[in-house]
This record gives sequence, structure tokens and C-alpha cells, in this order.
Amino acid sequence: MNIALRSSAVVSATALTLLLTACSASNENPTTTPPNSDGPATSGARALSGELNGAGASTQQVAMEAWRAKFQADNPGLTINYDPVGSGGGRTQFLDGSVAWAGSDAALSADEYASALDRCGADGAINLPVYVSPVAVAFNLDGVTSLNMDASTIAKIFDGKVTTWNDPAIADQNPGVALPDAAITIVHRSDESGTTKNFTDYLAKASDGAWPYDASGDWANDLGESGQGTAGVIQILSSTSGTIGYADESQVGNLGVVSVKVGDTYNAPSAEGAAIALEASTPAGQNGPNDLAYTLDRTTTAAGAYPIMLSSYAIVCQKYDDATVAANVTSFLAYVASQDGQAAAAAAAGSAPISPDLSAKILSILEGIATASGV
Amino acid sequence: MTITDKRDTYDVPLTAHRGFLANSAFTGLSTFAATLILVLLAAVATFLVTEAWPALTDGGAVLADKVEWIKPAAGESLIQIIGYLVFGTVLISGIALLIATPLSIGIALFISHYAPRRLAAGLGYLIDLLAAIPSVVYGLWGSIVLVPALQPFYQWLGSTFGWIPLFAPDPVTGVVSPTGRVALSAGIVLAIMIIPIVTAVTREVFLQTPKLHEEAALAMGATRWEMIRMAVFPFGRSGMIGATMLGLGRALGETMAVFMILSVGLSYSFNIIQSGEHNTIASYIAGQFPEANSYGVSALIAMGLALFIITLLVNILARWIVSRRSEFSGAN
Amino acid sequence: MTKRIDVNNLNVYYGGFLAVEDVSLAIEPNSVTALIGPSGCGKSTFLRTLNRMHEVIPGARVEGEVLMDGTNLYDSSVDPVAVRRHVGMVFQRPNPFPTMSIAENVMAGVKLNSGRMPKPESEELVEATLRGANLWDEVKDRLGEPGSSLSGGQQQRLCIARAIAIKPDVLLMDEPCSALDPISTLAIEDLIQDLKTNYTIVIVTHNMQQAARVSEKTGFFNIAGAGKPGKLIEMDDTTTIFSAPSEKATEDYISGRFG
Repeated sequence: MNIALRSSAVVSATALTLLLTACSASNENPTTTPPNSDGPATSGARALSGELNGAGASTQQVAMEAWRAKFQADNPGLTINYDPVGSGGGRTQFLDGSVAWAGSDAALSADEYASALDRCGADGAINLPVYVSPVAVAFNLDGVTSLNMDASTIAKIFDGKVTTWNDPAIADQNPGVALPDAAITIVHRSDESGTTKNFTDYLAKASDGAWPYDASGDWANDLGESGQGTAGVIQILSSTSGTIGYADESQVGNLGVVSVKVGDTYNAPSAEGAAIALEASTPAGQNGPNDLAYTLDRTTTAAGAYPIMLSSYAIVCQKYDDATVAANVTSFLAYVASQDGQAAAAAAAGSAPISPDLSAKILSILEGIATASGV
Repeated sequence: MTITDKRDTYDVPLTAHRGFLANSAFTGLSTFAATLILVLLAAVATFLVTEAWPALTDGGAVLADKVEWIKPAAGESLIQIIGYLVFGTVLISGIALLIATPLSIGIALFISHYAPRRLAAGLGYLIDLLAAIPSVVYGLWGSIVLVPALQPFYQWLGSTFGWIPLFAPDPVTGVVSPTGRVALSAGIVLAIMIIPIVTAVTREVFLQTPKLHEEAALAMGATRWEMIRMAVFPFGRSGMIGATMLGLGRALGETMAVFMILSVGLSYSFNIIQSGEHNTIASYIAGQFPEANSYGVSALIAMGLALFIITLLVNILARWIVSRRSEFSGAN
Repeated sequence: MTKRIDVNNLNVYYGGFLAVEDVSLAIEPNSVTALIGPSGCGKSTFLRTLNRMHEVIPGARVEGEVLMDGTNLYDSSVDPVAVRRHVGMVFQRPNPFPTMSIAENVMAGVKLNSGRMPKPESEELVEATLRGANLWDEVKDRLGEPGSSLSGGQQQRLCIARAIAIKPDVLLMDEPCSALDPISTLAIEDLIQDLKTNYTIVIVTHNMQQAARVSEKTGFFNIAGAGKPGKLIEMDDTTTIFSAPSEKATEDYISGRFG
């Protein structure tokens, strides 16, 4: 008997049938589900049931809401839970087996790859970029909505070396803009965050030494003001004139944003720019060709690229012991990584859709996991 | 039954009777509850120590390698961070206590000894209501409404009393924090948060002042204030200390409000109107926990252990103060 | 320094309730005046109007006048706090301040009036006052101990010492022995006899023998029934009241046929 339904229309139309077939399937043969024998699987079309639990980065939360809503509507038998405990917490929960997958702003560390061998078996775990989002450098300056800056100017501002708005370092790049002789107040995150890590990674790599610290999720110096979470930073920026900070591009609202120098042009933050910058970067996963952890190229000169972006991963096992779990994880993430899923995230969270090529690559990796797990 | 059946005594056996079972059940229940508290305390302490152990025993280099925010090279090893945080926690809680204690005692006295009865009841109810507001709401209100409103006051403090180290403007920029997200703000919001509990407890204590003592003072020609100093305060002394310590306990452990109000930093600065200088243990843990790996969690739990120890010390100190003159207390 | 008190047409109200109705009497200086009567007859309430202590209870007020050497204590220019410094009071139950030592209890009222006193001077005053209260020999070796460490009778004498330390003109006593054993009661009664050379004393008591033993004059208060105001039935020399009262109610009360 074949319970693999090919059409999502059928799925949504005949929830009852689906339920019955799922039941009979488990009655006859509870452990194995017939694999997809012919052709590439269309993900999201398996009969999915039970609970799927994930945890991790709060960065992905808004997009996750959209993904969950859509996917659960198409698969009424499945309940998806995502606990936005934070990247570290998500990875920990994934590695100790309490969740099926983790959302994380950072790829697995060497240690974590090692403990993933216990969690997932000999093939370990891999990182799949499913959420890419531009990080804007935003400011609040009366009458100014856009400023041009290069990386070293941004670095000097955030390290307290450029302290007034009319400093030549800023003025020279913004001819014709009336800059006040006012103090610059920098605003950063008070909690450790992937946004901070990606922003400082950009500063460290692109500023030609103007940023003397390493990339870190924890703010490096004791300068300026700090807010809790993206909302906290935005709130300070919005309420205080003369401030400059960094936050997810979708959240900056009416604040002025910095166009960042890439090559010889200044590019405003945009989802497209972030996607171009990700294309320019190279996967540097430590766990074989399927591991798509990126070392982001912050110094790319590709036309239109916006290099201050954050790539957030889904961390999954290469092989799951439990076929049901594997079916649930791979089907759901296949939707997430699909062009549909990426469009949904872009609409909901302002993220940058990954390219069709990358999308297709992730889908085939997921299919491989499903096969390896005996789905 | 006729009247002649009436007996002079009930026929109660000398062995176990009806009340015996209930009595022993309650004895067991209360003993169990008391033991449970001890077990819980021991469990928490054990948890903190075992979980913090890796961070406490791992060399600084290992931790620095595994945890991003531990930077021995920048003077921020685990123990140094704990030092800064203990300082910040005590400083901010101290500000809160300094503001809240006199206010709370004033409110409690007004309710117990000055206000007309109906006003006192309404006011007491309002104060209790304040205690029911979750700290996130205080944090939100503090960061969006109160802190911006306080900023001009800090500006004035900085320009008028800048020569006092507490209120010195930034040595580099020469201005105070433009957002007002400073230790003093956090202290003020914490003070508002602990006023209800301190007020509620001191009010109860003041209300229990024996009428006898109050009348003794009044009959000697004491004014109301003199009566309060002579009869109410001495009687309520240990209660006031207890209330203050309860408030301090809440201030020490408060997370969200500080987290949302303070621009954090690590230093031993006494300057309470500059941002980026202080942080508290609870707020630091809340900020770093979500992104922490297992080493980071262990290090954060070590900080939790430090907070646990501070709170224990505070309580021991309070006990000691209360007991120092116990023979003179109103209890006997 | 002792003073006479004249009460004219005094009514005492608690809110709208008339508690004591139309009392007029005269209290001679350097005398002991006893007020007797059944429970709830208003004698304690009346006593408290003599130093305005009834005002501690919300809603309590009086009509009429209480003259102390001609000055109306209820004149609008009179401060009740000042009244109480001239008219001291001892209560039913001994109430030394528990947080103060014996010596501090004695000095408590003095500190209110004259602030801090040089140490030798205050030690002298403590000794003189405690001697005046017949307590010195019992406590002279433990002046630093809490007042609550004393026995009930000693505590009550300490309270008397505390009251006389501020040198009042009049001393009011509200059933001062009702919580004490007979020996302690005797000590207090002896003390009252000593004190009347310096003070005008008004004592409320349930104990008619006590009234007969200590007072020169006795006033009998009675109440017509629950919810009715208390009234002063008659007042006369103590010997007259206890031998040949002019009112039937008084005779019934003292002979035990009533109350």
C-alpha cells in the first residue's frame, strides 16, 4: 500500500483519509514507511503526524511563525513546536537529543561537531542556511535619512574614535548633508546575540584594522548605551537623537540607515543585497560537502552586495534513528528552504530569500537525510 | 433519649481517640513541609555548585577559549567579571534600598498612624496592587517612560553636582548619558518595585504596636512623631529590618527590569549617572544565557552561585542585626 | 505645683454616641480622689478627658469644660500634648517601653521635655524618681536591664516613676492595680499615700476597699442601662460615701447588691 500522497491538494482536501491511512499504516507496520521509489521526492507531501520539536535562535522566530502556520495547515496531523531559547540553548538541546533540529545563528563549533557524533551517529550533524537577513546600521539624526560610510568609519564610530556627527570621517563621505556638531551615542545589544556577532565580524574583517577586537556575540567595549534584544536597541534609537546602532533591517522602521561602501559604491541594506553577499561567500562546513556552514565574505565587491548580514542555520542530523522524526524534520525544513518558504519568510520577517540554486541544493541534502534514515 | 440519661462526663477512652489521628497527621505534614524547605535549599546549593564546578575549575585559558565573553586578556576573566557584577548588583540594590526604605516607612506610617481609616484602607490596597505588577511591566514602563523623563534631571545633576564623583559627567565627552539608562535609573525603578513589599510588611508591623505603649508615650506628652519614635519604631525595629531585607532580596535578584533599563558595562565605577558602567548578576545571566554554550552556562551558573551567596550573607547579616538586641525587643 | 481641677457640665461623645453625660465635680489639690462604679459606666472615659487622652480614639470629643487652676483644658489655644505634660497618667496594665532599660524608661518623658541632660544630672534624677516610686532599692543594681525584666508590680511602679519624672501637676491612675497581686497592690497603695503630698491624684478603681483605703473623696459613676450614657451619681467624702451615701444606687453598689 502506498501512503505517499503526491499532491498537496489531496492532502488538504482529504484530511480524514490521510488520518485513516496513517492509522492503518501504523497498524500494519509500525516501524517502516515505504520509501519514495520513483523520482525525486516532493517534500511536504508525505503523510506526517505527531510532534516535531525544534529550539534555538530567536532570530528565526518571526519567520518560523509563518513557516509553522503554513506547514501545519497543509499537514493537519503534525504539530510543530519551536522554542526560541536562543542559539546556544537550541544547539545544546539538539545535541542532548531533546529536539529534532536546532535553529542557530552560529554554525556548530568543533566541540559540538564532536558531540554531534553521539547524538546523530557516525555521520554527525550539518548546518543548513535557511534564514538570511541584512543587519542595518541605523541612526537617529533629525532630518537625515541616509548616510554613506565605509567599514572603517563605522568601526571608528562604534569604538569611540569618531565621536561627533560632523567629524570629517563622516562628512567627507556625505557631501551636501548637513551634519550637526553633536555627540554620537552608540547603541549596542546588552545580551549576547548573533546580530552582534555578525556585525562585529563585518567590522573586524572589513575595516582594515579600525576594529581592534575579534568578532564576538558579546559587545567588545564598554562604550555607549545598550538595549535588550533588537526591540530594546530600536527603542533607544527611536527615542534618543544622535544615536547610532545596529539591528535587523526589517525592524528599523523610520530610522535613518547607513549605506555601506562596497567596492566603489554605497549600498543600502536590502534582502537582495544580503542574498548577493551570501552567494559571494563560500561554504566552509567541517562535516563534508553537505555541511553548508558559511564563512561570510564581508569584503565582497560584488555589485549590489550588502555584506552586513546574518545567516542563521537549521542544524540537523545526517541520519535520524527514528524514521518518523526524520520524515517530519526533512519535510518541514524542505518547505522552509523552498522558494515558497523563503518567500513566506521574506514577507513575514523581511529576510533575504536564498538563491534558487542554494535552495535546490538544500532540498536534495534533506532528501538524502530522509533516505538515509529509512523514510 | 430522656433527660435522665444525661451523664456528667463523656465516655472518652484513655487510649487513642478521635483527635489523635488528625493531630499526628498535622504534625507529620508540618514536619514534612519544614524538611522540604531544607531539602530544597540544599538541592539548589548542590545544583549551583555542581553545575558551576567545570567553570570554577577549568583554567582561565580553557574558558576563554570556549566562551566568547570571558576575555582574560581584556581583564575580564570569569572571576573578574563576577567581581564587577557583584559590585554592580550591590551598588544598584543599595541605591534602590536607600530610596525605598525611607519612602516605604513613610507610607507605612501614614497608613498605620496618620491617615483617616478609610483613606488608609484604600491606600493599603493600592500599595498591595503595586506589588502584583510583573517586573517586565516595570521594566517596560521604566525604559519607555521613566528613564527618558529622568534624563534632563541627570543632565542637571551632572552640570550642578558634577564635582561629586557619583554624578561626574563622562570624562571624554563631558556629558552625562543622553538616554538616562544608568545605574541610578535602575536603582529608582527597583526602588519602586520593592516599595510595595517593604511598605506592606512595615505597615503590618506598625499596626501591631501595642496600644499600651503608644498610650504610654502619648500620656507623657509625646507628640505623634515622638510617640512613633518612642513606641512604634522600637517595637517595629526587627520587622523593619526584615522588611528591608525582603526588599533587598527582591532587588538583588531582579532581572527583567534591570535588563531592560540599564545600558550595561563592567567596571568598578561609583558614577551612577553614566551608562555602560554597571551590570547586575541576574541581568547578566539573562543576557548571556540564551546564546551560551555548555561552558558558558556553567560560567553563568557560577555567577548564580555568587548571587546565592550574597543573598545568604545579606540574610545572615539581617538576622544578626535583629538578634543583637533581642532581649529588648517587643516580643516579650 | 499641684493644681485643682474643676469639671463643669462635661459630656463625652464617641462619634454620635453620648458616653458620659453632664459631669460636674471638683478635685482638690494634694488629695486622692477615687472614681468607682460598675464596668462600662464611663469612669475611665471620664478620667481620660482630664488629660485629653480620649482624643486618641478617633471620633471622641467633649462638650463642657475642664478647668485646671482656672484654665480650660479644652480652650482652642490649648495644645493636648502640653496638657499631658501637666497631667500624667498610669494605666491599667504596666506598660514600660520594652526596648528601653529601666533608667531609660524613667528618662523617656524627661527627654521629650528638656532634650538631652548631662549624665550626672540624669543619674541623679533617675535615682530620685525611683526612690520617689519606692523602687530604687529593688532595681539600683540593674538599671541597664530592660524594663520588662521586672515583676508586674515593679513594672507598674516603674510606670509611676516614668510619669512623675516629668513632674506633672496631676497624676491620673486608671485601675493601676487590677493586674497585680495583693502584695504588689499594697506597695502601690503605699506609694499613692506618699505621692499625694506632691501631686493631685485621681484614681479609677473597681476595688471599693482600695477606694476606701487610699482616697479622701470618692465619686460614684453609674449607667442606667446598655446604650445609655454614664453619669456621676454622687461625689462626697470617702467616709460618707461608704457609710451614708445619699443616693440609693450608691448604697446598692457599695453594699454589693448591684454590679
